[in-house]
Amino acid sequence: MAPYLVSIALVALTTFLGAFVRKTLEPANLVIFYLLIVVIIAVRWGKGPAIMASLLSVLAFDFFLVTPYLTFAVSDVQYMFTFTGLLIVGLVVSALASKTRQQAIEAAGREEQTAMLYRLSKDLAATDSLETVLDTIRMNVSQIFDCSAALFLQVEHTVTPSSVDSGFPINEHEKAIAAWTYENGKPAGWGTDTLPAAKAYYFPLKTSQGPLGVVGICFKESKKGIEPREEHLLSALASQTAVAIQRAKLAEVSRQMELVRQTEKLQAALLNSISHDLRTPLVSITGVLSGLLQDLSPLDSATRKELLETAYEESVHLNQLVGNLLDMTRIEAGTLKVRLSPCELRDVLGASLQVLKDKVEQRDIRIDIPSDLPEIPMDFTLMMRVLMNLVDNAVKYSASDTLIEITAKVLNDHMEIKIKDEGFGIPSQDLEHIFDKFYRALKPRQITGTGLGLSICRGIVEAHGGRILAENNLDKGATFTVSLPLARKED
Amino acid sequence: MAVSQNMRVLIVDDEKTVRRFLKATLISHGYTVSEAVNGAEGLEYSVSAHPDVIILDLGLPDKDGIEVARQIRQRSQTPIIILSVRDDESDKIAALDAGADDYLTKPFNAGEMLARIRAVMRRLLPQRERSVCTVGKLSVDITRHSVEVKGRAVHLTPTEYDVLKLLVLNAGNVLTHGRILKEIWNKTDDFEEVMHLLRVTVSNLRNKIEPDPNRPIYVLTEPGIGYRLCDDQ
Repeated sequence: MAPYLVSIALVALTTFLGAFVRKTLEPANLVIFYLLIVVIIAVRWGKGPAIMASLLSVLAFDFFLVTPYLTFAVSDVQYMFTFTGLLIVGLVVSALASKTRQQAIEAAGREEQTAMLYRLSKDLAATDSLETVLDTIRMNVSQIFDCSAALFLQVEHTVTPSSVDSGFPINEHEKAIAAWTYENGKPAGWGTDTLPAAKAYYFPLKTSQGPLGVVGICFKESKKGIEPREEHLLSALASQTAVAIQRAKLAEVSRQMELVRQTEKLQAALLNSISHDLRTPLVSITGVLSGLLQDLSPLDSATRKELLETAYEESVHLNQLVGNLLDMTRIEAGTLKVRLSPCELRDVLGASLQVLKDKVEQRDIRIDIPSDLPEIPMDFTLMMRVLMNLVDNAVKYSASDTLIEITAKVLNDHMEIKIKDEGFGIPSQDLEHIFDKFYRALKPRQITGTGLGLSICRGIVEAHGGRILAENNLDKGATFTVSLPLARKED
Repeated sequence: MAVSQNMRVLIVDDEKTVRRFLKATLISHGYTVSEAVNGAEGLEYSVSAHPDVIILDLGLPDKDGIEVARQIRQRSQTPIIILSVRDDESDKIAALDAGADDYLTKPFNAGEMLARIRAVMRRLLPQRERSVCTVGKLSVDITRHSVEVKGRAVHLTPTEYDVLKLLVLNAGNVLTHGRILKEIWNKTDDFEEVMHLLRVTVSNLRNKIEPDPNRPIYVLTEPGIGYRLCDDQ
C-alpha cells in the first residue's frame, strides 16, 4: 500500500508547489513536473502506482492549476490536449519504466539464483562422502528457501529420509508422499494438486538414469504457495544436487570396493605370512628326515646329530607357532579365559625363564625385583606367555654380549614390569604398529617370528586390565613396559 | 639302564603314530610295551598286561581319560603318566587328583618322557631309599633331617622343611597345590587362603636353597598346577 500513498503525497506536493507559481508560469509548463513525478514513481515502485499517479496528476492539474480553479470545468479547450498528452505520456512512461524495473528485478533475481547455485556447487566440491553431500544440500536448500528441508534417498527399495532438518515433519504420511514423488517423478504435497494436505512440498531429484531421490521442503506457515521463480530455482538446484549425489554414491561404491580389495590384500598377506612361517620349519624337518631315510651313509655321526638337532629345534619352533596362532585366535574370538589368582611376579618370571632355558642360558639377564613386591592377580600361564614373548624378543633383537634387565616396582595402584635390552631398538615408524597383528619391524630376515607375539602380549595384558608399551631407550635398545592393576577390578 | 630291564609299559592312546613313536623309544630303552587303542582296552590291559607304568592319553575316543585314570587307580597303584595338550591345566589337575602321577604335555620329547617314567617308578621304592636326594649343590637327607647347600647346613623353618621333605620324597614328580595343602596344612578347602601361605613358604625356601631365587633350578613351578623338585641336573 505504501507506494500508492507516497505517490498520492508526491502528486499532492507537486500540486501544492504548482499552486504558488500558477500565476507567474503558464500552467502547461507545470505538466513537466507531473511527468517527472510519474517517471520517478514508475522507476521506483512500478506500474500500478505510476498509472495511478498519471491519473491523479491529470485530475489535480485540472482541479487546482487550470482556470477556473477548484472545478473540473475547463475554460480553454486547449487544455484538453494537455490533459490527454499528460495522461498518455504518463501511461507510456510508467509502462516503460516499470518494465525496465521488472527486468532489473529479474536480473537481480537471476544473479541471486546464480550466486546460490554457485555457493551450493562450491560447498559440494568440498564434500567427500555421501553423508556430507546430503547434509550440504539440505543446509543450502533450507537457507535458500528459508525453510526446513529433508532429503530422501532410496535405500533397499524404500524411500528413506537420509538427511533431515530438525524442524522437518517426518511421519509415515509425509514419507508416503516422498515415495509418491520418487515413483512418479513429479512434485507433490503442499502447494500442489497432488496430496496438498501434506505439511511439506516434495520435489523429485532425477538423473538421466532414473529417479535418485526427493527433496522435501517445509515452508514457514505464512507462505501461500510456490512461485514460478522458486520452482525454476528448485529444478536448477535439483539437477545440480542429483549429479552431486550420484557422484558421491559412485565414490562410496569405489571406496567400498577399495576396502574389500585392501582387506583381501591383507588377508592374502596374512595367509602368506602364516604359510611361510609354518612351512619354513617344515622344510628343514622334512629335509633332514628324508635325508636320514635315504640313509646317506657319507654323513658322519657329528653331521647327523647336527642335522637332527636342527630338525628338533625347528619342530619346537613350529609348535610355538601353532600355540601363538591358537592364542591369537582365542584373543580375536574373545574366548581367551583369564583365571586371575594372586601370583608372585618372581615366580611367574622364574617359570618363564625355565621354559626359555636353552635360549637365555648364555645371556646376562639381570633381575631386580624387590623382595616385598606384593602378589597381584594374574593368570599364571598367560602372564608367563607375555614374559616369555618379551624376554624372547629381547634376546632375539640384541647382540649376545649385551645386558637384559628385568625390573618391577609398584606405582600407585599398579605394578610396572620393565624388560630392557641393549639391542637394535625399534625404528620410530614401527613403534605405534609394533603390537599390531602380524606386524614385524623391518628387521633382519634371519630373525624368525610370526609377528604375533607382541599382539598376543597386548591381548593378554589388556585382558588383565593392564597396558603394554614399547619405547626406545635414550642410548640404545628398547624397553617394554607392562603395567598391571594391583587389585582385581570389581565388575 | 638297569632300571628299565623287564619293565612293562602300557600305552593307551588312539593315535597310531604316537603309539609307534612311544613304543620304538621305550623298546630301544629296554622296556616291554603293550598297546591299547581306547579306554576300554586300557582298563582291561591295565590288569591283564601287568604293566609297571601306564602312559594314558586324556583324549580317548570312547572314555574320558580322567575317568579311566580314576578306575585304574581304584584297582591298583600302578603309576600313571597322562598325555595332554597345552592349555588344559584343569584337565591335568583333575587327572592328577583322580590318581595320575604325572603328566606330559604334547608334543614332548623322548628324554622328558623317559625321565618321567623313571621318576614315577621311584615312587614305588621304599621311603628309606627315597629319603636321600642330591641335585646339583643341594643335598637333602630326610632320615638325618639335614639340608645342605654346597656342603653347608641350611636352617629351615618346620613348614619349609615339611614342604621340602614332601618334594624330596616325590623328587621328579609333580605335586599339585591341592596335594601339598592337604599333606602339609591338612586343608581340603579354602585353598585361596592357604595358597598364599604355600607361595610364601616356597618363596622363602627358594631364598634359602636356590643359587638364584629369581631363577629357581631346584624347586620348579609347574604353571597352574603345582611344584616339582628337579631330580636331574
